[in-house]
Amino acid sequence: MDLTPRTSPDNAPLAPRKHNRKWKYVAMLVVVASAGGFIVSQFLTSAIDFYCNVDEIGKRAGCEPNRRLRVQGTVEKDSLKSDTGSTTFVLIFNNQTVNVRYNGDPGGIFQECIPVVAHGQLVGDTFEANRIEVKHSNSYSEANPDRLAQSKVEQCSLLAG
Amino acid sequence: MSTETQSFKGVGTPTTRMYGLLAVIALGWVFLGGLFFTPEDAVQGDAVRIMYVHVPTAWVAYLAFIVTGVASACWLIGKKHSMGFDRVAGASAEVGVLFMAMTLLSGSLWGRITWGTFWVWDPRLTTTAFLFVTYLGYLAVRGLGGTAQQRARRSSVIALLAVLEIPLVHFSVVLWRSLHQRATVLSPDGDIKMDGLMLFTLLFGVFGFTVLFAWLVSHRQRILAMQDAQQTSALDAAVTERLKEVQA
Amino acid sequence: MNHVGFIIATYGVTFGVIIGLVVYTIKQGRNLSRTVADKDKPWT
Repeated sequence: MDLTPRTSPDNAPLAPRKHNRKWKYVAMLVVVASAGGFIVSQFLTSAIDFYCNVDEIGKRAGCEPNRRLRVQGTVEKDSLKSDTGSTTFVLIFNNQTVNVRYNGDPGGIFQECIPVVAHGQLVGDTFEANRIEVKHSNSYSEANPDRLAQSKVEQCSLLAG
Repeated sequence: MSTETQSFKGVGTPTTRMYGLLAVIALGWVFLGGLFFTPEDAVQGDAVRIMYVHVPTAWVAYLAFIVTGVASACWLIGKKHSMGFDRVAGASAEVGVLFMAMTLLSGSLWGRITWGTFWVWDPRLTTTAFLFVTYLGYLAVRGLGGTAQQRARRSSVIALLAVLEIPLVHFSVVLWRSLHQRATVLSPDGDIKMDGLMLFTLLFGVFGFTVLFAWLVSHRQRILAMQDAQQTSALDAAVTERLKEVQA
Repeated sequence: MNHVGFIIATYGVTFGVIIGLVVYTIKQGRNLSRTVADKDKPWT
């Protein structure tokens, strides 16, 4: 039995609208499933091993020096130089270092003694980066000029492993 | 349409009004304190102000999805299959999806300032995006039609599977190497590395957003109850009308 | 304040969405209350 309420004058009305609403949700499910598939593929190709630490280059599977890498380490104190649009610095982790060159200003809160992930490839003994991402720690403290210098030194020695 | 008494009241009660008042006070402080009264962070500067809304919205999204899971389990396990549980699950998922979207947006803006990029496919961001689309799918399934019981049955099964993603998202920064920082307040070593007023504002924000969540879910599950009642009375009216036609 | 645009955008969107959702919820609740019988509103 057709139970569609007959509320409008021409007796035609609500069923098609309800039908459309259902298809709207079906379309939404298709979009969601596609987005989910894309995210899972990104997870498997990118997220699972997001970076290699500096001391793992050439020593850990997936961190071979002849391939494109994402390398994590701390920007060594007094190593940061910027001139003619290029930024160079030394990345240190677990007492192992690598020289990094990046064309441009890394942006974010990039500075010395802060952990970063550099995307690029090793060319000779220099890591040529085309993308720098800055990590920040899970500690938050009030900006205080008196203790800033001290905390930076502590942070540098702690993060460098 | 029903001809029984209608008092034209909304969906508020004294309890939800109290939730509302508490939420206004706490969120008022988060707005003013977060923007003006809390100090700059030593490393991040003013960018830390985004944390006061990013963390509570993420917390509410987690909480909402857990409530959806628990309410769905109650519907499945309960002998009466009370539709109240299903409506709480649906209302909570609606709120959770919206807060998850806000979390992704605020995190993206925070990431642009601190990391130097709006988005990276790192473990935390990737699993969070997956959690978001999972619950979008949950809401889509709820809207597919059928009876309220059919809707409750299929969506409760999805909710019980989807809730398993939450520990994966939370521990993604520990399980895998992530650009996202680890937890500060819920850190495994129990040492909260945050200065006084910053921590107070963050925790008060978490409280305020939680009370807001309670207000929203209370109201929205009542709205769902009225929508279900409306659908049922429309169906009853249609049946009565057809019976009259048959009898005539 | 540094990065003021990003910070204002975050607060604006977050609080804007919340206020919008609250107003929408209250209005939707009131509109539905007018059409639904009291017996289906156990909280009244």
